[in-house]
Amino acid sequence: MIDFVQNTVDGIMFGSSYALLAIGFTIVFGVLRRINLAFGASIMLGAYAGTWLHVHYQVNVLVVALTTLVCTVLAGIYVERLCFRAIRRDAALASMVSSFVIWMQLEEAAVHLLPERTYAFPSFFVAGSFELGPFLFRGEQTTMLVLAALMVGALHLLLRHTRFGLALRAVSESPRAAAYMGIDTAWVMLCAFALVSLVGGVAGFAILATDEQITPFFGLWATFKGLIAMMLGGMGSLPGAVLGGLLLGVIEAHAQWYLGNEYKDLSAYLLLFAMLVLRPGGILGQRIHGREALAFRRV
Amino acid sequence: MLELRGLSKHFGGVKALDGLDLSVREGEIFGLIGPNGSGKSTAINLICGVYAESAGTVRFSGQVMNGKAPHERLRAGIARTFQNIRLFPNLTVWQNLWVAQNSPRDVAAQGFLSRWFGATRRTRRELAELLELADLGHKGDELASNLAFGEQRRLEFARAAAARPRLLLLDEPAAGMSRQEIEDLGGRIRGLRDSGVTILLVEHVMELVMGVTEQIAVLNFGKKIAFGTPGEVQRNEAVQEAYLGTSASDSGAAGEGA
Repeated sequence: MIDFVQNTVDGIMFGSSYALLAIGFTIVFGVLRRINLAFGASIMLGAYAGTWLHVHYQVNVLVVALTTLVCTVLAGIYVERLCFRAIRRDAALASMVSSFVIWMQLEEAAVHLLPERTYAFPSFFVAGSFELGPFLFRGEQTTMLVLAALMVGALHLLLRHTRFGLALRAVSESPRAAAYMGIDTAWVMLCAFALVSLVGGVAGFAILATDEQITPFFGLWATFKGLIAMMLGGMGSLPGAVLGGLLLGVIEAHAQWYLGNEYKDLSAYLLLFAMLVLRPGGILGQRIHGREALAFRRV
Repeated sequence: MLELRGLSKHFGGVKALDGLDLSVREGEIFGLIGPNGSGKSTAINLICGVYAESAGTVRFSGQVMNGKAPHERLRAGIARTFQNIRLFPNLTVWQNLWVAQNSPRDVAAQGFLSRWFGATRRTRRELAELLELADLGHKGDELASNLAFGEQRRLEFARAAAARPRLLLLDEPAAGMSRQEIEDLGGRIRGLRDSGVTILLVEHVMELVMGVTEQIAVLNFGKKIAFGTPGEVQRNEAVQEAYLGTSASDSGAAGEGA
């Protein structure tokens, strides 16, 4: 029982960063109705820039964090300009394919920046590990959870209560009407990319600081985890992304404990498979799709 | 105020709009009518920049609008409503209006922070007034998708007004409305004009068009076939022919007006 609770706690903590990755996919999907496959790779490249500074100049971990965030945002904007701006709105498939190509390009860039297979990433935590009764809370993971909770809270405020957030939601609900109401949709899309890159950069930094190492495959890994978490929660739903991320984290933690390390990733794929068979819209997806369809019929 | 010169739009071989000349004077309520498929909606879509014109120019208070994106045209002062209502369904009524406040005047009046992150007291007061005018004062925090049809139409009208246009394009605003609602709408249109907004009204409901407009242009097969005051247009033979030559409902509508 103690193991079970401990695993669940660990899973929720790690899952919080999956949730951030899923939010990145889901916001871009909401605004553009497209999937940005290069999302994980742009986070990876941003983190590589930070790692490069760390390797060559032994900079402080906070400088690494800042560099990671800034470069992830730049990479995100680059992807937007290349794959999503230039290609017309209705050519969703072309966008997705070109984002896949850019993924490869970003990975190649990272390998040229730092050619070895693995590099150390500085660890980061605001508080050390502590015990609460029989349970252990690891410093890095608690930090991750706190960072993720702050990001989700800030995003919620931004999207619900600021005019920029409303403009973003207006574009995702009715891009044409938004344009006629004077909203510069191209600008909003660019801002959406910068925003999700920032969120993804935080997630990437928190994960890498916990793992204390980075490889070029981090991009692939982040894209997979984010996409699976988004699909679990329901595409285009922000609460769904959070829920999907946490669920994925918990299931993985249990699989790792009870079945062994090699089953951790497999359990994620099995979970996605089961979800697609039993409830293809995701946990919150179907309800939201139903409600939205109803809303759009009426409006 | 609005000058169209030789405005044309071809879709493949179809000439949806064929050399339309039109000039709308400042402060006027101008009607644009014609049978289904005569090019009215195409004209509106060209004026607000949905697609590029095949030929001709759109000039708005002396400025050539060709090649400008819809949001730039709004900022120049052209707003519109839609034939099929297009609100933001999951935003509240109040938020629908707030998000539409993109006129240069509003941009200039608010600092960066208040513009993007919080509404100023003045903005709140102005939007509250608009909601009152639209009879939606008590529904400000309701989601737009929860409104009844008539309320949604009123909200769309108010949202266009929130953008502070100098020219408002109304694309069949009376579609699906009851007689009473049409009368209200006529009042709202006149009220908006009296506050200084020029109006271009595209409409099938003849009692509204004949009741509020001062000048009317009639389109058929993408060309202007008549122009004049409501009375002149109703007596025009080419107009009667165009309406009688099409479906019964259209000719009925024309007959009703005449």
